[in-house]
Amino acid sequence: MNNSILRYGGIVLSYILKIVMIIFLVISIWKVHWVWIFGCTLALIVSLIPTVLKRNYQITLPLTLEILITIALILHVGGGLLGAYSITHYDTLTHFVSSFLVAFLAFVIIYILDEYWDGLKMDKYAMAFVVVIATIAMGVVWELNEWITDIIFGTHEQWGYNDTLKDLFIDMIAGIVMAVIGVSMIKHGSFDEMTDDFGEQIDKRIIKRKKDEAKNGKN
Amino acid sequence: MGRIKQICRKRCFSFTLLLRIVMIISITLAVWRKDWTWVVGTCIGLFISLIPSIIKRDAKFTLPWLLDFLIALVSILHVGGRLLDYYYTIPGYQLVTRFFISVLVAFIGLAMIFILDEHWDGLKMDKYAMAFVTVIFTMAIGVFLEFIKWLNVTGTYYVKTNHVLMLNLSADTIAGIIIAIIGVSLIKTGQFDKMTDNFSDQIDKMVIDKFEKRTLNKK
Repeated sequence: MNNSILRYGGIVLSYILKIVMIIFLVISIWKVHWVWIFGCTLALIVSLIPTVLKRNYQITLPLTLEILITIALILHVGGGLLGAYSITHYDTLTHFVSSFLVAFLAFVIIYILDEYWDGLKMDKYAMAFVVVIATIAMGVVWELNEWITDIIFGTHEQWGYNDTLKDLFIDMIAGIVMAVIGVSMIKHGSFDEMTDDFGEQIDKRIIKRKKDEAKNGKN
Repeated sequence: MGRIKQICRKRCFSFTLLLRIVMIISITLAVWRKDWTWVVGTCIGLFISLIPSIIKRDAKFTLPWLLDFLIALVSILHVGGRLLDYYYTIPGYQLVTRFFISVLVAFIGLAMIFILDEHWDGLKMDKYAMAFVTVIFTMAIGVFLEFIKWLNVTGTYYVKTNHVLMLNLSADTIAGIIIAIIGVSLIKTGQFDKMTDNFSDQIDKMVIDKFEKRTLNKK
């Protein structure tokens, strides 16, 4: 009963967030902000990817992942369009949500590989550790990307030493928060419920196919 | 690597012995220059150089020769650079030292994952997954090192610019990737198993077995 209410609430929230995105697109058209018209359209397309995947390829992404992707996009687009980046700590909040999304995605991938792939069997605390270091490492990759972009194109993606370190610290905190939530969810069995459909689809489409290919290759 | 190992065995030469000699010279130099922070630093270095002997004598614990070599190399590079001012006079010296520190971290990471995979029921990992975790582990530890530098606990002077930070993080990433590639190749040929065999058994006896027994008792 509780689960179905939560799921229903999640679906409603996902639709509300998409409506917000459409409102942002209308505002950017009204203000004739070409950059944000393009940004909003792109964000709307990205937020619709889970629906397209479900309808055309029968891949169901966990609802939480769908909601997190949309929230991260809304925060970024809204921040740019409505000038919210000038609000103190808004940038920190956006960065935290993006890092949390990365950590969540890492946890889902590790959990599914642990469940369905013979090449990985992991204790839940080991999973939590790997999620934290994976989130930090992704943060480093992101910062390196910004740094190289600045060098090549002369942009100002990075704001300096303290800001880069602050971003990396937020990545770490987001990783730790997700690791704690993830372990608690695994203990209660809710992580399994959440990733069940997605896991089976990944298994059918990627892991089993790879296994069959390897078998055929040997024969 | 085999040749270096043979030479070391033939001449009864230990890397830690070399490290101890360098440390004693360094302490003398630091006292002579009245660099008291560095007197403490070199004393810690001397203690590190004594650890393999202490462990071997008291806990019958032999470190893999490569680990022994890397600890000695990193300590000598760091202490030498500080005392002879190479950090300030040779361009790129800091980056080279950082690279070897990361190589050491990556090797420790890979060895720990390999040992846990061999002896702990909570982890079974494919060699390529091990390589991936080694890379992200090295990157994450690199970020921790940068946090420590930022906090400036030791009171040592560091160049704190975004450019140096990004170069350091790049060095960590490259070191992690190199050790991951070498590690996978050594695992494939069975050499990594040989290299860590003795160390691995001792870790199993001293830590993993005890931990597993304690977990069983709790249950």
